[in-house]
Amino acid sequence: MHIEQAFTKIIKENEGIMYKVTRLYTNNKDDQKDLYQEVVYNLWKGFKTFRGDAKVSTWMYRIALNTAVFYSKKKKKRGYKVPLDGVILVQETYDPVLEQRLKILYASIKHLKDIDKGIIFLFLEGRKYDEIAGITGLTTSNVGTRMARIKDKLKKEIIKK
Amino acid sequence: MELEEMQTVWSQMSDQLEQQQKLTDKIIIDMTQQKFKNRFSTLSTYEIIGAIICFVAAVVIVLNLDKMNTWYLMMASILSILSLVVMPILSLRSLFGMKNLNLTTDSYKDTLVKFIKKKKQMLLVQQLGAVYSVILMWLVVPVFMMAFNNKDFFQTEKSTGLLIFYTAITIGIIIFARWGYGCYKSITARAEADLQELESTQV
Repeated sequence: MHIEQAFTKIIKENEGIMYKVTRLYTNNKDDQKDLYQEVVYNLWKGFKTFRGDAKVSTWMYRIALNTAVFYSKKKKKRGYKVPLDGVILVQETYDPVLEQRLKILYASIKHLKDIDKGIIFLFLEGRKYDEIAGITGLTTSNVGTRMARIKDKLKKEIIKK
Repeated sequence: MELEEMQTVWSQMSDQLEQQQKLTDKIIIDMTQQKFKNRFSTLSTYEIIGAIICFVAAVVIVLNLDKMNTWYLMMASILSILSLVVMPILSLRSLFGMKNLNLTTDSYKDTLVKFIKKKKQMLLVQQLGAVYSVILMWLVVPVFMMAFNNKDFFQTEKSTGLLIFYTAITIGIIIFARWGYGCYKSITARAEADLQELESTQV
């Protein structure tokens, strides 16, 4: 299969991952589209050297999270923007109750520190502690310790809302 | 909402997202192409223009070095040339360092640690640049006055208006530099705390 075809196939199969990461690290639709494009670009850059040693999803999580953290910090400082033509995001057609709960959940996670935000995101994605450790660069025991703290923080945040 | 509930909400969203594939091959390829084109247009435009202006000014001083007929004007010229070359290089280096972080292979923690370190370096260079701009202004003015008007700044009578202008600019830059330093201290303190927290996670 041609490299471009292989890439577009992977992106299409995992567009949900990019949607969730970009929503987590931005506060409006324009920024989300901008970050989405940046993630796709970095995935494309990384795809040329991706040898398949790691699982595709692990590879995607790592690049998407790295791009998101870099983008969110850089953006505050530089006000950097790229054109948005042609970038389409998945539409949210959840039921109102689910969307309301999601809003609370996203808002609570956004209060966390960057590294904790990444950990809880991966946890909610159903990743095991050792997988989270592999993606974040932390040790497995540290992921466990941090998860305990994150749970407490999230509980407090959600109670406030 | 308990953690289990959060997971349920999250997986409900994930299930719905999976059913709505919106991207086409063309959109995906367009995204990589557009981003590629934009990388060059947004690459530190202001800093590059600023650096070019500094380098041109340094060349102008070099070409007029023979006119500097006193030791203090020669000293001011050499210091001006050095700062006009070194400061933009430091500034561009710190910016390119930030841009060249490897987002495709490093772990999330490594990216954060490198980012914070590079950010601290960049802020330090910016602060040095702001403070040095006051010194540079006082160095460059006598040099250019000799180069273009053949007058020794230190031995010519200055008009009150000119002195007020220089004083106002100096005070303005000092206030700006002090304000910038305050921001720098608070940002680096936060960055330092984040860094220590991240680096202490090497269990």
